[in-house]
Amino acid sequence: MQAAPATSPGDEIPRKPARKKLSKLERTRILQDWAFILPQLTIFVVLTIVPFFVAIPILFTDMSQFNDPQINPVGFRNFTAIFTDPSVQRDYFPALRRTLVFVALNYATVYIFGLSLALMMYEVGFRGGFFTVVYLPLMISGLATGYMAVMLFSRETGTANLLLMELGVIKKGFDIYSPEGTAFILPLLVGWRYAGFNMAIFLSGLMAIPEETIEAAIVDGASYWQRLTRVYFPQMWPSFILATTMCLIGSFAVFDELVAMGALYVNPEAKLLSILFFTYGFQVERLALGMTLAVETFLPLVFIGVALQRLQRRLQY
Amino acid sequence: MASSSLLAKLPNTKEPMLTIARRKQLLKVFVTAVMIIYSVFTLFPFYALLVRSFVSTKDSTELHLWIPKADEVSMDAEVGNLAVFYDLDLRDMKEALGIPQSEFIMARTSLREVSEQFDIPEEKIKDFFAGFYTYNGWNTLLTGDLYGTSFWGALGRTLLVTVISLAFLTVLSIFTGYGLAGLRRRDQMAVYNIYLLQMVIPAMLILLPQYQVLQWIMGLFPNYDVKGFTRWGLQLLAIILINVKGTALSTMIFTSAIGAIPKDLEDSALIDGATRLQYIRHVLLPLLKVPIISLIVIQMPLIYNQFLEPYVYLDPANSTLLPFTQSAVGQFSTNYQVIYSAIFASIIPLAVLYLIFRRFFVEGVMAGAVKG
Repeated sequence: MQAAPATSPGDEIPRKPARKKLSKLERTRILQDWAFILPQLTIFVVLTIVPFFVAIPILFTDMSQFNDPQINPVGFRNFTAIFTDPSVQRDYFPALRRTLVFVALNYATVYIFGLSLALMMYEVGFRGGFFTVVYLPLMISGLATGYMAVMLFSRETGTANLLLMELGVIKKGFDIYSPEGTAFILPLLVGWRYAGFNMAIFLSGLMAIPEETIEAAIVDGASYWQRLTRVYFPQMWPSFILATTMCLIGSFAVFDELVAMGALYVNPEAKLLSILFFTYGFQVERLALGMTLAVETFLPLVFIGVALQRLQRRLQY
Repeated sequence: MASSSLLAKLPNTKEPMLTIARRKQLLKVFVTAVMIIYSVFTLFPFYALLVRSFVSTKDSTELHLWIPKADEVSMDAEVGNLAVFYDLDLRDMKEALGIPQSEFIMARTSLREVSEQFDIPEEKIKDFFAGFYTYNGWNTLLTGDLYGTSFWGALGRTLLVTVISLAFLTVLSIFTGYGLAGLRRRDQMAVYNIYLLQMVIPAMLILLPQYQVLQWIMGLFPNYDVKGFTRWGLQLLAIILINVKGTALSTMIFTSAIGAIPKDLEDSALIDGATRLQYIRHVLLPLLKVPIISLIVIQMPLIYNQFLEPYVYLDPANSTLLPFTQSAVGQFSTNYQVIYSAIFASIIPLAVLYLIFRRFFVEGVMAGAVKG
């Protein structure tokens, strides 16, 4: 009995050297660190991570609403529904098509508005006043953006329509409730709203470029286009990736603007995927199915997002 | 693009120094022009919205570029139409004109008939309806009640949620950043990576299960099912919890800002007998002005303009500004003037704050954008 305690710590030292090295001071420090981390982390985990695990068992049932009295297991039926169930296919695939069109067009506005404004601002020096104006739309809500779209581009009453017709630019007004109208006007307004945000991302990327490389290029007689593609862009990769991540995640989750454009009731052309999941969960009693579709659609996105984040960090350091 | 091809040709001229100066001048003119055009493009929707909030629905098929002088109400207008399309409050009208509330006015009755029937001079009716079409939207919005709450109540709740959320988010994020500062240990790195996930998880993906989790938590409290103070307080608390849970941005900002502060500062404070909380309060806080401003100016619009969560979690009688606006749309679906007034009203508070503190916004956003 007396020998045992003498030998066992001796055995442990080579096995767990790291643990042994922690002094009492360090251990208190770690505990204190955790006391600072825990309050927010608890809320974060309960509201962001736990929901994933809560959702998993529901995905395999026919739960129809949040207080469904009778829940039956259905195996993988929810997962295969997009391939087998015509009623789901009728809802899902048009919504997917509209979402993809929106994401593509919205991604274009990141460059059309954000990047070109940032490049301009960089050439003439930072202009606080112009920045203030461009960033102003970010103060308004997605809902307001959607109603502004309706106000500007309603077929009969849209202010922009009436103005453009008065100026003779167009003969017939755009119609926000038509398929093409919704597809093009929505990204235009969303791009308008986020222009300042994207400009800030690209501008900070541009400002991080060492001045010497640009001066060297100018002295060597590089044209603006050459400077752009050989000097600016290669050094701005972290900004491009950040803007891509934000735009990708943001445009798949676009919701408020669509509600304002009548997606929940009158305008089926504005029914994108997020509206579909919302309706399944809260309106038509297909909760489990809606959750499954959301997971099937968004989980790949989360992985892409994580990959992009890693890439960005590797390029930054 | 036009300028880049133009500039590409210029270096071939003979005096390089002069051309560089001229190029810069040309570029400045071009860029200034584009900036002015883009500013107009940015500001026009705001101006148009303001004008439209004064344009009555019946005039909306004409182009209005400034606030119009609307017609007087015609004496042939029928009371029912005014009530349906312009949300005329019949109780108010009866009171103002001295008609007893018990009198029933048929929907097809015209204003002239009202004047004859109750022996009221037409002038008095015209006085009551002065500016009726022009200010109809704002009048209806600011004086009306909707599903048990007024515009002012909704605005108050929005401001309450925004202020509390921002305060707690800042404090909790500073704690997190302090606990993670330096990212020296494996556990710190793990926590940091968990927060980074927030950036790539769309709100829509976790909305449904998150709703279930929060319903379950709030259901633990007695009285949650009863309409009243407890229920509404809990609902607002749910929104606040969602807002303060911390984001990738908040964690990144404070972790790197606190990590950049020399460790000696902390050591000397602790040796002098300060606790770590005192160190945060008296040493760290004054040094963190820039990141705090950065966090607030980026998060404030997001929290103030939150729609999805309040729309889902709050009772209509307890709603914040944007769900209130949305239910106004359902209620006044034929009266677009009210809807535009409501939208413009919801923009004003934050826009004014932004214009007053624009310097902080610009600096904070640029500092935040550098962090990614």
